[in-house]
Amino acid sequence: MAHSKDVKKNGPISKGVSRRGFLKGLGATSLGVAAASKSELLAKLEHAPSPNGTLLGKNAVALTLNINGKIHQVKVEPRITLAEVLRDNLGLTGTKTGCERGACGACTVIMEGATINACMTLAVDAIGQKIETIEGLESDGKLSKLQESFIENDGLQCGFCTPGIIMSSKNLLDTNPKPQLEEVKKAVSGHICRCGTYPKVFESILAAGK
Amino acid sequence: MPREVTLKVGVGKNLKERIVEIPDNAPRPWDGSDDLKYVGKRVPRVDGRDKTSGRAKFTFDIQLPGMLHAKFLRSKYPAAVIRKIDTSKAIKYPGVKAILSVQDKLPLIVRFAGQEILAVAAETAHQAAEALKLIEVTYDVRKFVVDKDLAKEKNAPTVFNTQVEEKLTEGDLPGEHSEVTQKGNVRGPNISPKDATPEKIDAALASSFAVVEATYRTQVQTHSAMETHGVVVDWTAEDKLKCWASTQAVFAVRDELAGSFKLPKSNVRIITKHMGGGFGAKFGVGIYGVMAAKLAREAKAPVRLMLDRKEEHLCVGNRPDSVQSLKIGADNDGKLTGIKLISYGTAGTGTGAGTSGPAKNIYEYDHFYSEESDVFTNAGPGAAFRAPGHPQGAFALEQAIDELAYKLKIDPLEFRKINTPNNEIRQAQLKIAAEKSGWARRNPNPGADKGPIKRGIGIANSVWYYFYGRNFQVSTQVNNDGTVKVTNGVQDLGTGITTVIVTIAAEELGLKPSDIQVSIGDSEYGYGPASGGSVTTGGLSPAVRDSAYAAKMKMFEIAAPMLETTADKLAAADGKIFIKENPDKSLSWKQVAKKIPGDNFIAIGERKEDYHKLDIGTIHGVQIIEVAVDTETGVVKAERVYAVHDCGRPMDLLTTESQINGGIIQGISYALFEDRILDRNTGIMVNSNMEQYKIAGALDTPEIESVVLNVHYGQSSTGAIGIGEPATVATAGAVGNAIFHATGVRVRELPMTPDKVLIALEAMKGASS
Amino acid sequence: MNKFEYGIAKNIEGAFDFLKEPDSKIKAGGIDVLDLMKEGLEAPKRLVNIRSVPDLRFINKGENGELRIGATTTLAEIESSKTIKAAYPALAQAAATIATPQIRNVATIGGNLCQRPRCWYFRSEDFHCLRNGGDTCFAEDGENRFHAILGNEDDCVVVHPSGTAVALMALGARLVIAKNKEKRELALADFWVTPEDDVTKENILQHGELITEIILPKPRQNESSFYFKQQEKQSFDWPIADVAVSLKLKGKQCEDARIVLGSAAPIPWRVKAAEQVLQGKPISIKLAKQAADAAMKDAKPLSENAYKVAVFKAVIYRTICWAAGVDPFAT
Repeated sequence: MAHSKDVKKNGPISKGVSRRGFLKGLGATSLGVAAASKSELLAKLEHAPSPNGTLLGKNAVALTLNINGKIHQVKVEPRITLAEVLRDNLGLTGTKTGCERGACGACTVIMEGATINACMTLAVDAIGQKIETIEGLESDGKLSKLQESFIENDGLQCGFCTPGIIMSSKNLLDTNPKPQLEEVKKAVSGHICRCGTYPKVFESILAAGK
Repeated sequence: MPREVTLKVGVGKNLKERIVEIPDNAPRPWDGSDDLKYVGKRVPRVDGRDKTSGRAKFTFDIQLPGMLHAKFLRSKYPAAVIRKIDTSKAIKYPGVKAILSVQDKLPLIVRFAGQEILAVAAETAHQAAEALKLIEVTYDVRKFVVDKDLAKEKNAPTVFNTQVEEKLTEGDLPGEHSEVTQKGNVRGPNISPKDATPEKIDAALASSFAVVEATYRTQVQTHSAMETHGVVVDWTAEDKLKCWASTQAVFAVRDELAGSFKLPKSNVRIITKHMGGGFGAKFGVGIYGVMAAKLAREAKAPVRLMLDRKEEHLCVGNRPDSVQSLKIGADNDGKLTGIKLISYGTAGTGTGAGTSGPAKNIYEYDHFYSEESDVFTNAGPGAAFRAPGHPQGAFALEQAIDELAYKLKIDPLEFRKINTPNNEIRQAQLKIAAEKSGWARRNPNPGADKGPIKRGIGIANSVWYYFYGRNFQVSTQVNNDGTVKVTNGVQDLGTGITTVIVTIAAEELGLKPSDIQVSIGDSEYGYGPASGGSVTTGGLSPAVRDSAYAAKMKMFEIAAPMLETTADKLAAADGKIFIKENPDKSLSWKQVAKKIPGDNFIAIGERKEDYHKLDIGTIHGVQIIEVAVDTETGVVKAERVYAVHDCGRPMDLLTTESQINGGIIQGISYALFEDRILDRNTGIMVNSNMEQYKIAGALDTPEIESVVLNVHYGQSSTGAIGIGEPATVATAGAVGNAIFHATGVRVRELPMTPDKVLIALEAMKGASS
Repeated sequence: MNKFEYGIAKNIEGAFDFLKEPDSKIKAGGIDVLDLMKEGLEAPKRLVNIRSVPDLRFINKGENGELRIGATTTLAEIESSKTIKAAYPALAQAAATIATPQIRNVATIGGNLCQRPRCWYFRSEDFHCLRNGGDTCFAEDGENRFHAILGNEDDCVVVHPSGTAVALMALGARLVIAKNKEKRELALADFWVTPEDDVTKENILQHGELITEIILPKPRQNESSFYFKQQEKQSFDWPIADVAVSLKLKGKQCEDARIVLGSAAPIPWRVKAAEQVLQGKPISIKLAKQAADAAMKDAKPLSENAYKVAVFKAVIYRTICWAAGVDPFAT
């Protein structure tokens, strides 16, 4: 039983779309403008202007997001999560999703200095917020001390949970630069690593905190 | 022309000479006298940079222009016949590009809740999910059975009306295939030794000085890899298929896709650059792979089909459960007289619930008898899972061994020594484990702690086997600028084979690991192993070394006239090629490379037969675990683990330790938390997520101290053996024994959750009052 | 997840405006409502974000020494509040043990009080249970190892999921509930709805109503509180038993006690019989165990959860001891 429609009979679609063009096709553009405040950004979205709030329709709206210090504009429906925008619209696939329900921590990013599950965060709630993802940890092609420590101490196996764990670790060290083992364990307790790499994750964080 | 070399082989530092015959063009195998610069040391994961920066592209991350997203419609019922499917509304839904049934013709017979019915491809994943809701399926609901004990009953609904052929993957034990009968839902028993009857063992046990007998139960565990199963498929021409797959077997996926679509192998390319865990569940292309390819062909667009977490629990494999009745006996010296195991379990609609490996292969005994059966139920099929059958088997056997030791008033560790007298490796491991854990300081009396929280220490042995595969092809390309690239098709599940390849090549070529580029995970490279049975390192590493060695020989030939000597007088180290007798006469690697005619050369290394069969064909391990048992809440915490394992010569200690840690933590998770729970009344899994299907996290992780015991066999040019599976075999049994030592109570059912611990404690109280 | 309109309220008036849509749901941290929507159990036409209302996020000392907590204050903020840790330790302990650090950074106290039960039948689109408007409780004769042992005679056997609710009840908290311009205050104890009264809801909130504040009374002299959550696994797990105890002590003498159980019954379950055992007596391990026995006297376990009675007994006596500064494991 086969059902299909609207299939162009000209074979596979053409290849060689540039990355930039590709992202544009997904409704994402990188803007070279400075970050605006959340209220300014919200004001731009008004469909039914009200002094008491902003009502967005269910269809796609243009959102301006500040990710790793860069301003991006995407057009997505309010139901779309931050994890979806990062991965599907912006191609920032370092952020993974493992359960889609905030239980595994693979999608962890930092929003305004706090770790969050990007899979349980609506992208629209991220406007005007400073978002940090795994891609933002490198500077000038150089890994951060924390990333180097994960490599040095083998704080990873398959690597699928690793970006999320590193984001929780970064947030810990940002606020508590020389943590104790128990604090480290607690900070990464919202992550599941099915390879069971935890002992070396602890070592990696402790070593980076030295 | 083969040549003979004299090697230092043996366990740890206890070495003896052995003459080994090797091919003329092969390097002298690394042996106990070699202290190597990188191999066996701590080389950081070479793909660590990609994985810690978010750059690593897993199959999950592949995004292609115009790519569609596919989703399955799955059966809501565990048993049904589907005679009608109406997709007329769904096909009109915005964004939907194709809908295909998994079976060309109806009726479709449903055997478990979650079984695939059809798949939809749409422009977005949301559209695909919404379209699924518009599909109307007419189910003729049938009676089902999900409880294996009920399934064994005479009038139980039958899951299959036909004889089921056993399907084995690279993750299953070779030789497991067996000719057995199937009656109702029971397939078996598979009897070992073949054609034996129980009279002999019964007689042996009847006349034993001491006997223990008990029944042990283990649960179904799902693999739950962080990256779910799935593919991204792209038809690059009418008859050419490119497929990114989250797989443990790049070449098997290629073969299956080529077969399904009647394509030449050369027209199918499988890519697995990074892979988010498999643990035995990701060998074939799966129905998802075939359906994704069909949808992509139908819609003329690339298709991504990655399962979600729920599907992952329901449909793509699990560790079968078991009920094991074990009776073992010993004479008054503590020597085992016999082991009798009657075991059955369910792999749902699959097979492979056998558990006899540990009972058969750990100890020396006079008599052995086992019967193992698969019971079919209306549940998702089992799959190979990290040491299939062995954590289950060891949970039962190692507790029974413990029980017998206590009965005989012999120290449980001593008892294990007494019954493995001819296994030098096990003897050495038990000794190390005893020293590391301070076993001698342990209170010999169980349940001695005062207060409600009691601590205990338990021991268990593990066993696994040495498999290595043949004919793998590794190529080492040396370019005339001195750069080196090693390639093989093998996939890296997170075990670290990529790093192992680099480590070996660097060692052999006298270069630094950072000088070696490596490319893996592509069916267009040389044939590589499927990562099952812990074969990858033992199978591939000799081909890597032999390939690098051949490249080195080629460089020596080029260097010889430059150094006015002959190739056989040369050596390579620290980025130089030099005369062995006169190291000052040297050239840099680059200087020599410049003289490579043309642009580059490629040297191939091939995995051949081992040079000889191992004297001890098993691989071993012993784990000693300390637990705290809260006797009022039943909550058990694993606090400390001492693990001693062997894997021949370890290639990279860092990633080897990680694998041991991982095996232990998965084992603890299995022992204490994980349980696939099917609702008895509907046959539907109730905890198909990551919060109620409980997996050990950071705060559940014990302190782990591991020792890798070097064992030099000289069986191949590297002497490596795998470690992935052995490390998870002993854990649950050791936890069980530790609980007994803490409380004086045996918990014979997994997972050892508060309910079961409290029931066992209650039963003891009842018995003693 | 269905498509929905999204109302981002700037102030409370805005929230009520947006809630005029009959098919709307409130979203604060969003953890619970998005979970229900992802499972397909809720599909509102409109979500109303109240986390964007600055006026709902605060921890303030009130005039009479009470503490007022805005409904969208996050669990992380509560867990790390010095004021709460000092004066209401049970609440800080409860907030600190919920879910994961990532969730605590987002989830709000109001949302935590209103979160729907975690019963695996209720939470699954595969089962259309009583609480979801169906006609069967699948747990009663099904997989009920984590279900209710108290208050479970009426059809639905879910357990109450909110740890902060248990602590707040023990601390005598009150809620401020607003609807448009009207505000009312009520004891948290009067907030809950039992399955007998309405099996499809857990609390009295009507559509269009909002919790705006939680009010904690000024701690009584020598009041001491403790909350403990017993999990099977230590990283992210739901409790098999959680208990909050608040004691008014004179030395070791208990002048007044409040003991509330979570994960025991469909609503936070105050055990007055246990409180009476402590009344007027010096707290000892023995007395605490008697109280625990009294608390479990009416327990009626289901087919798979009798063990929970034992677990509760242990957690109750220990939590009483901890609240009183007695080492429950002293021998």
